Amino acid sequence: MKTAQIMLVASLLLLSLVSVCPAALPAEESAPPPEAAVQTPGIPVPGNDENTTLKVQEKTSGDAEKDEVKPPVAETGAESVAESVDSEETAAEEGPHIPDPFAPTNRMMFEVNDRLYFWVLKPVTQAYARIPEDFRIVFSNIYDNLKAPGRMLNNLMQLRLKGAGNELLRFVINSFVGVGGMGDAARDAFGIKKQDADFGQTLGHYGLDHGFYLVWPILGPSSLRDTVGRVGDYFMHPLTYVHHEDLSTTASVGIAVHETVNDASFKIGDYETFKEAAIDPYIAMRDAFVQNRKKKVQESMQQ
Amino acid sequence: MLKILLRKYITGALLMFCLVFPVTASAGLPLDTVKGYSDKVLEILRDPALKPESAKQLRKDKLRAISEKMFDFTELSKRTLAQNWKNLNPAQQKEFVNLFKTLLGDTYADKILAYTDEKIVFNKEVSLTEKTVEVQSTVIRKTAEVPINYRVILKDGVWRVYDVVVEGVSLTNNYRTQFREILSNKPPESLLETLRKKVGKSEPGSKT
Repeated sequence: MKTAQIMLVASLLLLSLVSVCPAALPAEESAPPPEAAVQTPGIPVPGNDENTTLKVQEKTSGDAEKDEVKPPVAETGAESVAESVDSEETAAEEGPHIPDPFAPTNRMMFEVNDRLYFWVLKPVTQAYARIPEDFRIVFSNIYDNLKAPGRMLNNLMQLRLKGAGNELLRFVINSFVGVGGMGDAARDAFGIKKQDADFGQTLGHYGLDHGFYLVWPILGPSSLRDTVGRVGDYFMHPLTYVHHEDLSTTASVGIAVHETVNDASFKIGDYETFKEAAIDPYIAMRDAFVQNRKKKVQESMQQ
Repeated sequence: MLKILLRKYITGALLMFCLVFPVTASAGLPLDTVKGYSDKVLEILRDPALKPESAKQLRKDKLRAISEKMFDFTELSKRTLAQNWKNLNPAQQKEFVNLFKTLLGDTYADKILAYTDEKIVFNKEVSLTEKTVEVQSTVIRKTAEVPINYRVILKDGVWRVYDVVVEGVSLTNNYRTQFREILSNKPPESLLETLRKKVGKSEPGSKT
């Protein structure tokens, strides 16, 4: 337990050091705007449309100005046609961006995690998956139930009172009726649904930005904000407060490993599909991370 | 007197009905349209005759035929490339649409083929603009629920999918970020070359 805490403090220190040198940040942040400004996808046959709009414009504008007026008119004409043909919301659809000043290091970490998956996690999980699914679902429920207090607290902090109430009820019902969370009685018998919430989301809820992108070994994609979020979630996890004598460091690491493998056993093949579909898996992963986290923060604003 | 009034009302109602109904009937409701395709896909996946390994190609062909109707790959490609779309000439655009379609088909068809009795619930539809609607669904997996939203566009009286959003991650946005990276310092031709390689690689004998 102690070493885990030391590791967390160390990583926090590292983060504060890193955040002192944001030299690369402005350059990264200023990159997206021009792209957003240009926008509007054209239409397959720009030549024809430009001509027709030009003709119309020529008739209305004076002869003398023709030459000077031409280029800008052509542009605006094409743009308005494009806008009417294509839907207007393409600009709004532009995905969120995240500064990535440590891209080389992050890319390296991504590679490390990629190897760890194929060399360690996947073979271990494949062997583990021989355990009947029902048992694995029980484990999954137990681990999920342990996260209920954290979800409740975060829901509370986001002022999603219904979610907080639901998570409290779920924790009580599943811990007692579901015997330590082995079953999801709250969902199956009472129809109380899980309301996901985490501390990174809470920070986002109150307007904190990602800062920049970070890929952690083993843990994977994250950001400055969500790393702090992770630390917060760690302190909202019940096992954090089990006394050292009752739960040794080795045991708690063992639990974390088992949780990871157990979770992965339901997702064998997902990462492979993702990687096969991606043109640049690193960029694809980073973008998926930002989009997903943005949605989580947006969800925290509802209700 | 009453009879005449009644007749007037009925003819009026009929007229209204005729005026309103054809529009909705020909286009159909977005949610029903997507659900219809989804049901067809599930039907194929559950068909015992198509289950054996020997029928894999037939199953793939059937799925491809549905996706061809379900998706508007041109719209999807256009939105993915966004401002870069017009930097491609018509021939390149055409090739891009085909390559992108093959890439998505190969990778996600494989994923669908590995399907294990997941339940799909169609929740609701939310209109985005005049011609676009988001159909929201949830895939219920063993240990988690995955929200999958289909964005559809109305063209020529038919709703077709132009984007799929899984857990908040939009497919077109995700590819746009990747393609932009390539197109920022290379010509469209090299993007096509990258795609050709990628598609060629995953085509023969699907990898594990």
